[in-house]
Amino acid sequence: MPIHDQSYRRYGGRRNEPGSAWLVIAAAGIRTLLGRKLFLAVMLAAWGQFFVRAVMFYLSANFPSMNVLAPSAETFRQFFDFQEIFVLFVTVYVGSGLIANDRRSNALQIYLSKPLSRAEYVAGKLGVLAFFLLMVTLAPALALLVLEAMFSASLDFLLGNVFLLPAITLYAVMEVSLASFTMLALSSLSTSARYTAMLYAGALFFTAAVFGILRGATGSSMLAWLSLRANVEQIGDVIFRVPPRFESPWGLSLLVVAALIGLSVLVLERRVRGVEVVT
Amino acid sequence: MSAPVVAADRLSKWYGQVIGLNDVSVEVGPGVTGLLGPNGAGKSTLLKLITGQLKPSKGAVRVLGEPVWGNPPLFFRVGFCPEQDAFYERMTGLEWVTALVGLNGLPEAEAAEAARRALDTVDLLDAADRKIGGYSKGMRQRVKLAQAIAHDPELLVLDEPLAGMDPIARRKVIRLIKERAARGASVLVSSHILHEIEAMTATILLMHNGRILAEGNVHTIRDLIDEHPHQVRVRADDPRGLARALVAHDDVLKLQFEDGAVVLETNRPDAFYARLTEAAATGALGGIHEVSSPDDNLQAVFDYLVK
Repeated sequence: MPIHDQSYRRYGGRRNEPGSAWLVIAAAGIRTLLGRKLFLAVMLAAWGQFFVRAVMFYLSANFPSMNVLAPSAETFRQFFDFQEIFVLFVTVYVGSGLIANDRRSNALQIYLSKPLSRAEYVAGKLGVLAFFLLMVTLAPALALLVLEAMFSASLDFLLGNVFLLPAITLYAVMEVSLASFTMLALSSLSTSARYTAMLYAGALFFTAAVFGILRGATGSSMLAWLSLRANVEQIGDVIFRVPPRFESPWGLSLLVVAALIGLSVLVLERRVRGVEVVT
Repeated sequence: MSAPVVAADRLSKWYGQVIGLNDVSVEVGPGVTGLLGPNGAGKSTLLKLITGQLKPSKGAVRVLGEPVWGNPPLFFRVGFCPEQDAFYERMTGLEWVTALVGLNGLPEAEAAEAARRALDTVDLLDAADRKIGGYSKGMRQRVKLAQAIAHDPELLVLDEPLAGMDPIARRKVIRLIKERAARGASVLVSSHILHEIEAMTATILLMHNGRILAEGNVHTIRDLIDEHPHQVRVRADDPRGLARALVAHDDVLKLQFEDGAVVLETNRPDAFYARLTEAAATGALGGIHEVSSPDDNLQAVFDYLVK
């Protein structure tokens, strides 16, 4: 009887190409979160508005007396406004520990001793957060567009609002990019997910409060660019072709959003290292 | 001479005003090489430069003929076991190793299989489905080792791999390292304990204050170290019983008790460790949980060498 070698054997199978390790990180993160019941409940709640709007679309398409419920381009702008709270929940729940937990458990030095660049590591983490944020913004909005066409059995609405598809995509990508990059940057600054969550929520509420106070004092919304949320809303109005809600120039809001993303990238570049060098 | 596995050329690393590694030029050949030096000598800094964790302040380092910094594909061929723990305590050993093997480019099913084989190699397969949070210090060291060997690297870089292990686990890991070297892999292993290194290889690099102090055969250093008593701290169920049994031999010069442990001094570490391992294996003296050695004795040799 031939006796087989039982010792350690060199792996001779297929390897993924270098540069695809970020997918492993993203997939592992997504799988972990999908295993949490509380998180699934948050995601289900985030789709609540989609189901309500779907019913409204159905009624307006099938019952002429319900025409008041018919969608317009502004409906989709409102949809994103209502989703803001879930964007906050998901960003805080998913994003706060993404890098902070790795830093707390010293996992970065092991990750980065693998065939994985720092950019790939960040891309993997970004992938986890962006995936879930797109699932509560872009995915339901696009699904609503499709449902509208299905319920009305016509493409009239889509063809009459042909800008909606790129508008929905652009707005969702901008909102998700800002939330993802800023949250990851904050997460890389700390070893505590809880502290990161408080920092992120605090920054949102604090800047909104400062803007609110100044608006009350000056009677003008020219300083809307001071508020993180107001910047996104202002740009959103322009993207969806509705009158901007604040007096400040939308270009300034765009500049603030771009600057915040740029700053976050800089922070990530400095903080995501296998070994933290304190000088 | 065969091509060097690691080649450092005037390599320096500063941490602000503090110098971690100072103008080091050295070549490490195939086989097992021990990196020996007291705490703060620069061993970990050198290993972190070799594994791409740190960027050199000056000079260059090549591993397996390739530059290290900014070259992630090189790490398909390198395995690294860090000194510090780096775990998600709520993951099982198998989940943790599988996730890390996945980063080495193995598809999921193959990654799980490779992780199982690696855990088996370090005798941890029985505990593979237990949470890492419940692992002992020795098990943690072994699961770190498993993730380093799971993708069968050409170069294995181990930073203090025996720290905190019990005598039997130490012997197993030492055997594992020697087996891998016999099968053609190169191993660079750091320790501040000469005896540990000596059990694995005769080839050493001696570091002190960020510089290579000596390189070559361990026996020369050994002659020096034998002039200085070797201190060993043993954490055991019954430190007093253990001390009674060990002090009967004339190579044990001195002992003192600490909470749950006994600290002994010996002038013949080989014989001492052999007896200790035997005692742990038979269980005759109760459970022996941890063996550690302060580096005072090695420091004395360094002091002698740098005078």
